[in-house]
Amino acid sequence: MSQVIVVTSGKGGVGKTTTTANIGVGLAMRGKSVVLIDTDTGLRNLDLLLGLENRIMYDLVDVTEGRVPYKKALVRHKKFETLFLLPTSQVKDKSSINPAQLIVLCNELRKEYDYIIIDCPAGIEQGFQTAIAAADTALVVTMPEISAVRDADKIIGELGRADKDNIKLIVNRIRPQMVEKGDMLDMNDINDILSISCIGQVPDDEMVVTATNKGEPVIVSGSSLAGKAYTNIVGRICGEEIPFMEFPKEGFFARLKRAFGM
Amino acid sequence: MSDNVVKFKGNGTGLIMLLDQNTPYPKLEAAIKARLAENAKSFPAGTVIKTSPNGFGQKAQAAMMAIFDEYSLKLEFSDEALVRNAPAARSEHRAHRDMPAGRDERVEEMLVINRTVRGGEEISSKSSVLICGNVNPGAQIIAGGSIDIRGTCRGVVHAGAFGDTEAFVIADNLMPVQIRIADLIARSPDNMEKRDKAERAFIKDGQIVIESIER
Ligand SMILES: Nc1ncnc2c1ncn2[C@@H]1O[C@H](COP(=O)(O)OP(=O)(O)OP(=O)(O)O)[C@@H](O)[C@H]1O
Ligand SMILES: [Mg+2]
Repeated sequence: MSQVIVVTSGKGGVGKTTTTANIGVGLAMRGKSVVLIDTDTGLRNLDLLLGLENRIMYDLVDVTEGRVPYKKALVRHKKFETLFLLPTSQVKDKSSINPAQLIVLCNELRKEYDYIIIDCPAGIEQGFQTAIAAADTALVVTMPEISAVRDADKIIGELGRADKDNIKLIVNRIRPQMVEKGDMLDMNDINDILSISCIGQVPDDEMVVTATNKGEPVIVSGSSLAGKAYTNIVGRICGEEIPFMEFPKEGFFARLKRAFGM
Repeated sequence: MSDNVVKFKGNGTGLIMLLDQNTPYPKLEAAIKARLAENAKSFPAGTVIKTSPNGFGQKAQAAMMAIFDEYSLKLEFSDEALVRNAPAARSEHRAHRDMPAGRDERVEEMLVINRTVRGGEEISSKSSVLICGNVNPGAQIIAGGSIDIRGTCRGVVHAGAFGDTEAFVIADNLMPVQIRIADLIARSPDNMEKRDKAERAFIKDGQIVIESIER
């Protein structure tokens, strides 16, 4: 049974595209066949994170408007052969595809692939409504700060109104030291408000940025903290019970340095 | 006419549909359709409405559920709907809330929301509102009558929105950004601690006051 998952957030820049790329690669590393669909039309960047920009021939709008069959537009990943990207258009705007077109396309894709993951644009406008239309599961990405959590709350409300009842939370860019000092919301604060089940807690990790610049998502090397967190999310998506990892607290030396204002 | 045949009422735990026992089924169905066409908008999608099985056959039950389904509402057949509406249960309700007997009429109609009300949502009703869930920051509840929240209230609540100064707000955790009752406004202190006791806000001597209550 294939699954259509939408990755969404409300607030922009919290890590939807990063999450989509990592989960896609992680599932492919397990041998699953995966299509990633970028619906952030006009602001495409999923291809960059996957290092596939130079291979794009056609885009999502070419497919939904019937100019090419979807197979022609899919870009196969150079390293993970079961991973494909359906890129979006760089020039058109978000109204160039509608929900019905995406539902039809996803139903086609379901016949051939295990997972279809849709990267959603920020906001709750037309682009959001289109992106969620075909999904069975929604992953809501947020950050441990009040404005991001409030936007996630609104998005969860919108998803409910669209009859999506399988909604999971991913908290990204957690900084354990700040949480410890009480300068950042902790998981209890977040769960208190959002009250949906959480399947991912990803630390803020500069390896994410390094990986992005290399065009190879951080999950590939597997040694970084963020990479491990994404690996765990992939396991949970596949139905495994994996406990949340403890983030290393600030070391004694670092604390000493801070105490002396260094 | 359909008003007397089909009635919606809130009790302590949910929304109930009462049907006139003497109306034959086809007429009843038409009356339900008419009532929903008028009122369904005031019930948020997904609201569960209970009704007594009342000897309806399976076919009739399925047909009725389908009507509600069209408005994204859920109809459940349950004996509870019969029992809870017995007069005894209602007077207990009233006593619990310290209401003078004459005001009974007002609490009869109640909008019941069985979920968390999230940021950006606004619930408004001419009647009282019962929320079995949280009211999140950025959400707004406006009621002609009182507001009862079985959960944490962090949004904006306005009871007695049409001038009823006897209206009140109750929550398990009352920590709203603002409370309005009739035309009075109280805002929360700038740093609000989480409460561990249910509280009630009401008007006393021309001011909104808050007291803790048992429930
Ligand atoms: N866990 C992390 N640690 C450090 N940096 C991160 C992490 N997650 C994401 N980032 C960085 O945050 C930025 C925004 O991430 P991303 O593009 O994935 O967000 P987005 O939600 O898709 O944004 P948009 O709303 O613009 O589409 C990027 O520069 C990314 O490298
Ligand atoms: Mg993005």
